[in-house]
Amino acid sequence: MTEGEPLIRWDWIASHLDEFAFRLGEHVELTVIAVSVGFIIAFGLSLLILRAPRTEAPITWVTGTLYTIPSLALFALLIPYTGLTVLTAEIGLVSYTLLILLRNIVRGIRGVPAEVREAAVGMGYSPREILWRIELPLALAVIIAGVRLATISTIGLVTVTSLIGQGGFGFLILIGIQRFFTTELIVGAVLSVALAIVADALLVLLQRRLTPWTRAT
Amino acid sequence: MTSTRGATLEFRDVSKRYGGQLAVDQLSFKVPAGRICILVGPSGSGKTTSLKMVNRLIEPTAGSILIDGRDVLREEPTALRRRIGYVIQQVGLFPHQTIAENVGTVPRLLGWPKARIAARTEQLLALVGLEPSRFAGRYPAQLSGGERQRVGVARALAAEPPVMLMDEPFGAVDPIVRDRLQNEFLRIQRDQGTTVLFVTHDIDEAIKLGDRVAVMRGGKLVQYAPPGELLAHPVNAFVAEFVGSDRGLKRLALLTVGGMDLDTNVARAAVSPNAPILSPASTLREALIRMLASEAQVGVVLDGQRYLGLLTLSKIGKMIRSDA
Repeated sequence: MTEGEPLIRWDWIASHLDEFAFRLGEHVELTVIAVSVGFIIAFGLSLLILRAPRTEAPITWVTGTLYTIPSLALFALLIPYTGLTVLTAEIGLVSYTLLILLRNIVRGIRGVPAEVREAAVGMGYSPREILWRIELPLALAVIIAGVRLATISTIGLVTVTSLIGQGGFGFLILIGIQRFFTTELIVGAVLSVALAIVADALLVLLQRRLTPWTRAT
Repeated sequence: MTSTRGATLEFRDVSKRYGGQLAVDQLSFKVPAGRICILVGPSGSGKTTSLKMVNRLIEPTAGSILIDGRDVLREEPTALRRRIGYVIQQVGLFPHQTIAENVGTVPRLLGWPKARIAARTEQLLALVGLEPSRFAGRYPAQLSGGERQRVGVARALAAEPPVMLMDEPFGAVDPIVRDRLQNEFLRIQRDQGTTVLFVTHDIDEAIKLGDRVAVMRGGKLVQYAPPGELLAHPVNAFVAEFVGSDRGLKRLALLTVGGMDLDTNVARAAVSPNAPILSPASTLREALIRMLASEAQVGVVLDGQRYLGLLTLSKIGKMIRSDA
């Protein structure tokens, strides 16, 4: 920050709305791809765990280990192979969603009461029908709770991908730091947080809409 | 009032082995179409295992189970289960489906047209005493335990199954609700004519509901008889103890005043005005209680206005003592 300059320059903000919109699109895109791909992988792994419980320990170990790798280090390790690309960013972002999503999908499905499952089998549901019509709908609240966590943490992590040329609102933060320009830095951070809050609220609404029975008492 | 819908159910030398342990040992019995057979016995007697072999939730190790002469082991399990009603103690309603959706489960699996499912659902809710307009759109969490079990019975009956399996269905509700559910169940069963295999550990429930009672112990069938015969002639000390030392009294609940040999030597006018008036349809148990409560110690049996004779304590005593 240069001497005598205000913490936030509103005129700069007003003249850069187009850029914010562009960064928003980028941020949302990186997040949606990461959570969607992460969900598909976690879903597959969850079904594997539910069908073959012996796979739970190794799968949890691998996804847990991925989760502990510092994001900066992970991106740095990937650059020699995949470069400064969206792919590099997504490999990292997807990796961090897996543990959270996996745990919630497995926990949600295991939380289906035994008598509900027994009644379903006894009435002639096939295993596939039980998964899609009984277990998944009943696990939905827990699964969406996992998607909310994964989404919020991914929105935060996306800012780090600015270091490999991606980043959404993270780009503003990075440039703000490099230029000692607090306005840009603060705008990037505030917009990232705001996006997380809005995304979370939308997912809460989605969950309420999809699980009307949870409010029936 | 039909009893043609039910199928015959037969166990033929059915055994189930877990490792070295025989859970069910060469079980054989037949249930006539449209009748209620109660499997009763202490825990670990193999009754629930036997029940679950009918819809193949458990696969028998040996023997065959025949529904209308067809071996269930030759059928595809999901198709078989859709033809067999299934009610469990914890009910197992689907929490995410409305009551109407729950009841329509098997018809939906069978691909019935929507209008037919809706009509059948409404009919069943009314049958089990749940006003369709009030209950159809609710979720299971909004119902009491007794109401949920009624929905469980309606759901099991939805696709008009020839056989229904019930695993301690009334075990988790309080005694007053249980009594009411039992009475409703009997009415519904007579109405639908479904053959029922029913597991309980409660001998009183077995006697009240069963057309036949199968007493099991250690995986073996100890006695298979109508309730009256079970009480009158227990085959051994185990059955005698299991049905209870008050079996004579329990039998009175199964016998009616009309089936008794009455004293016709006394004119009606000579009987104390305190004597209770009994109808031929009332049970001996009810008659006994009213006679003991009155000062007369006899009962006047009237069929409508017609005087049939007197029921005396000594006649009831003779009935209890006789093993007939």
